[in-house]
Amino acid sequence: MDVLGRILLVEDDPKDVDLTLAALGEYNLANEVFVVHDGAEALDYLHARGNYRSRAKENPAVLLLDLKLPKVDGLEVLRTIRSEERLKLIPVVVLTSSREERDMVASYKLGVNAYVVKPVDFHEFVNAIKELGVFWAVINEPPPGSVGKRG
Amino acid sequence: MNRAASLPRTLLPYGLALLSVAAATGLALASELAGFDKLDVPLLLLAVAATIWYGGRGPGLVAIVAGILCIDYFFTRPRFTFYIYWADIGYFAVFVAFALLIAYFTGQRRRVEHELRRTRDELDARHANLLDVTHDAVFVRDLDNVITYWNRGAEEILGWTAAQAVGKRAHDLLRTSFPRPLEEIRAELLRTGRWDGELVKTRMDGTQLVVASRWSLQRDAAGRPLAILETHNDITERKAREDDIRRLNVQLEQRSLELEASNKELEAFAYSVSHDLRAPLRHVSAYAELLQKAASSVLDERSRRFVANIVDSARKMGALIDDLLAFSRIGRAETRMTRVSLAELASEVVREMERETDARDIAWTMGPLPDVHGDRSMLKLALANLVANAVKFTRPRPRAEIEIGHTTGANGELVVFVRDNGVGFDMKYVNKLFGVFQRLHTVEAFEGTGIGLATVQRIVARHGGRVWAEGAVDQGATFYFSVPKP
Repeated sequence: MDVLGRILLVEDDPKDVDLTLAALGEYNLANEVFVVHDGAEALDYLHARGNYRSRAKENPAVLLLDLKLPKVDGLEVLRTIRSEERLKLIPVVVLTSSREERDMVASYKLGVNAYVVKPVDFHEFVNAIKELGVFWAVINEPPPGSVGKRG
Repeated sequence: MNRAASLPRTLLPYGLALLSVAAATGLALASELAGFDKLDVPLLLLAVAATIWYGGRGPGLVAIVAGILCIDYFFTRPRFTFYIYWADIGYFAVFVAFALLIAYFTGQRRRVEHELRRTRDELDARHANLLDVTHDAVFVRDLDNVITYWNRGAEEILGWTAAQAVGKRAHDLLRTSFPRPLEEIRAELLRTGRWDGELVKTRMDGTQLVVASRWSLQRDAAGRPLAILETHNDITERKAREDDIRRLNVQLEQRSLELEASNKELEAFAYSVSHDLRAPLRHVSAYAELLQKAASSVLDERSRRFVANIVDSARKMGALIDDLLAFSRIGRAETRMTRVSLAELASEVVREMERETDARDIAWTMGPLPDVHGDRSMLKLALANLVANAVKFTRPRPRAEIEIGHTTGANGELVVFVRDNGVGFDMKYVNKLFGVFQRLHTVEAFEGTGIGLATVQRIVARHGGRVWAEGAVDQGATFYFSVPKP
C-alpha cells in the first residue's frame, strides 16, 4: 500500500465514500483521496504502522473526518492527532451528519480547522465537498512534511 | 352542731387573755417574793402582747382591762384593794399607753400578714387557672411516678379527669413508649434538671398520640428532687404531616430521577436521529439525483417525475428532521438569560429575511421596541419564525404590510406582536395553530413543516410567557407573545 493521497478520508459508510468521491471527481480530486474506514485504521495510516508500515512518512494535506466511526471515534482520532508532535499540524475537517452543538463544541475545543455538516440536498453536498477539496488540497499551503502536489 | 362546736373556739382567745394575765400576775408576785421588784408592768404588757398576737383585738382589750385590775389590786398602794391613789394615775396611763401601742402595732402586723396570705392564695389560684387554660397537657408526678397534679389540657388530650388520674402511676396509665431506656432519661433529668423529647402515649380510649414532651425536675430548698413536671404538646398531626412531606419528597425524588432518565433517553434519541436518520436520507436524495442525471435520457416522462418526487420528498424530510431537532433542542438547551434589545433583534431578523423578500413589495412598520429579559438566540428564533410566517402568508398580496410592535398586557406584562395583512386564518382553528405538525394550509399553497409556531410557543413558555393569535380569513393575522421585563 504505497498510495499517497493529499486527502485522507475517514468514513465508515461506503455510500458516503462513494458520494464524496463522486463529488471530488468533478474537480479531478478523486485520485488524491485515500480512504480508511474506521478510527483505528486512520491512526495506523497516520502513524505508518500495521498495514501501512511501508508507506512514505508524509502527512496528508488534509484529513476529512467523520465523527461516528467504529472502534475509535472521530473525536478520539482528533484528540490523538492534536496531542502528537508529528501529527498535530495536519489540517482536520470534521465532515458529519450531526448538527448537534455538543459535537461542534467538542471538535473546536480539540482544535479542528473546520466543521462541516453534510447537507441532505445532494447539490449542496456536492458543492460543499468540492469547495472543501479544492480549498484544502489545492488552494491551501499545507504545513511542512505534507504530501506535495502532483505534477 | 356546727355552732355548738365553734362557740368554745371563739371563746378560747378570751380564756387565753385571762390565763396569760393571771400567769403574768402570778409570775410578778413570785418574783417579788424572790426580791425582784417592779416586774408587774413589763410582764403584764407581755401578756397583753401575746394575747393580741394570738387572740386578736377583742381578747387584747380584755387582757388590758384585766391587766389594769390586777395592777390596781395587787401592785398599787393600798395593795389588795381596788382603791387608787390619785398619784398612781400616771402609772396606769403608762401601762394603758404601752398596751395600746402594742395592740396597734400588732394589729398592723397582723393585717399586713393577712393581706400577704390572701394575695398568695389568689396567686396560687390564678396559677392553677393558668395551667388549666393552656392547651398543653400538664401534670406533676412524684419520684415514685405517682401523678399528683393533672390539668384540664391533660384531661382534654388524654381523656382521664384529674380525679381519675391523680394517684395513678403515670407511665402505666399512659402506656408511654420511650425512645431511649427510661433509666437514661431519668439520669439526664437528675443531672440537668430537664429533659425533652418525643413520646408515644396512649389515650383513655386506647388511641395513640405523639407528644413533644418536656420534663422539669422540682427540687426542695435543700436541693433534693421532689417531683417532675411534665408538659405535653400533641404533635400527632404535625408528625403525620411530616411523614406525608417525607413520603412526598421521596416520591418527588423518584419522579425527578425518572424524568432525568427520560430526558437523557430523549437526548440520546435526538442525537441518534441527528446522526443516523439523516445519513440514509442523504443517500436517498443523492442517489435519486445521480439517477436523475445519469438516466434522464433513457427514462420516460412518468419515471422522471417519480425520481423528482423522491428527491423532493427526501429534501422535505431533511427539513422536517432539522426542524424537529431544533424544536427538541429548545426543550433541552439551557437558557442564558440576559438583557436583550428587541429592536436590535427585530431589525436583524428582517435583514436576514431580505433574500426572500427582495423581490416583493413589503411595507415594514416597526414600532419602538423595548428591552426584555431572555435568551437572545431563542428569542431571535421565535421572532424569526413569526416574521417568516408573516412574509409567507402575505405572498398573495401585491403589497404586504407587516408590523412588529409591543403593547402592555392585562397583567402589566410586556406583549410583543407581529401583525400582517396576509391570508389570515379562521379563529375556529386557533387552537391548532401552535401544535407540532399542525398546518392550516396545504403544502401546495404555503410550504412548511408545521413546527415553526410550536417552536415559538416552546420558546415563550420557557421564558414564562404565553402565545396567542388573532385573525380572520383574508383579514390578516396578529401573533402575540408575552415576555418578562428586564
